[in-house]
Amino acid sequence: MTEEKSGVDPRLLEILVCPLTKEPLEYDAQAQELISRKARLAFPIRDGIPIMLADEARQLDD
Amino acid sequence: MTIFDRCLLRQRRDRAARHTGAIPSLFAETNERLAERLEDMARGFPQALDLGCRDGALASALRGRGGIDSLVQCDLSPSMARRAAETGRPTLVADEEALPLAEHTFDLVFSSLALHWVNDLPGSLLQIRRCLRPDGLFLCAMFGGGTLHELRTAWLQAELDVEGGASPRISPFVDIRDAGNLLQRAGFALPVADADTLSVSYPDALTLMRDLRTMGESNALHERRRTPTRRETFLRAAAVYAERFGRADGSVPATFEIVYLTAWAPHPDQQRPLAPGSARGRLADVLDSPEVSAGDAAAPKPRR
Repeated sequence: MTEEKSGVDPRLLEILVCPLTKEPLEYDAQAQELISRKARLAFPIRDGIPIMLADEARQLDD
Repeated sequence: MTIFDRCLLRQRRDRAARHTGAIPSLFAETNERLAERLEDMARGFPQALDLGCRDGALASALRGRGGIDSLVQCDLSPSMARRAAETGRPTLVADEEALPLAEHTFDLVFSSLALHWVNDLPGSLLQIRRCLRPDGLFLCAMFGGGTLHELRTAWLQAELDVEGGASPRISPFVDIRDAGNLLQRAGFALPVADADTLSVSYPDALTLMRDLRTMGESNALHERRRTPTRRETFLRAAAVYAERFGRADGSVPATFEIVYLTAWAPHPDQQRPLAPGSARGRLADVLDSPEVSAGDAAAPKPRR
């Protein structure tokens, strides 16, 4: 298996949902964020580790 | 209801992650006993989750047991998760109270000494059950009611003696008699709960307290006292501990009750009781013995 050191494990992308709404997430590879449109939150991925905590997420304001 | 300060717990775990080296033996022992339970299982569990993975010690304790192809690790503390990720396994940070995991994802979920800090245990169990596939296994170890009973007694007495009042110091832990009910309430099938009591020896109570802090397990109760504890109270607690529980050789014991829970996500093929009255043979025939009436229970009561 090939894994980029900085990238997130693709297996995680398949199983993660929004912790609040339990709905699927959008993966923004550029920003390294997992976006929950419904909860209006962007969860950061740091060193390949998704941080799925609401109080660590960026509020979406559009 | 908020019993535990989850934010503080995260800081405690972050701090504990900086302590490298020997895995605290209590966690190692519990991980080994959890892994041993997989030896009795006839089937494999390809997709597994370690919920509350701390530094990823469970993964190495498994040593190939359980037929696991992929083990996802999850912890509340980003620092702990970073250490666990060094094993190369997929790792994430999440709160056990709000799991970010899709339904029917795992064949096996482990939780080794992590759920005792959860505020809403029934809610967490429900979320764990949902992320299991049908016939998936939940293997869990948590601290039971007898845990640290000596320290609880010593703090209570010391605070009364020195400060004239007591504050909550030691967490409330789950009672083994409630554990099975909790699992059933969360929709698990075939729940089994059993407990082990371990007694760890310490030179004195202050060393025990330091050890708990190193493990990231010191007081994170929401209602805890927010002012620093006086040195005098610490020393009094250690003295009470030694007086009441000390051994002849000067050491003190610390009790840890570990409750092991095993439960399955429901599946139509699982064993279950037949409906009453649905028997198609007589028990006496199977046992090859004469049938003896146990008395006519349905007879009407004689009038007096």
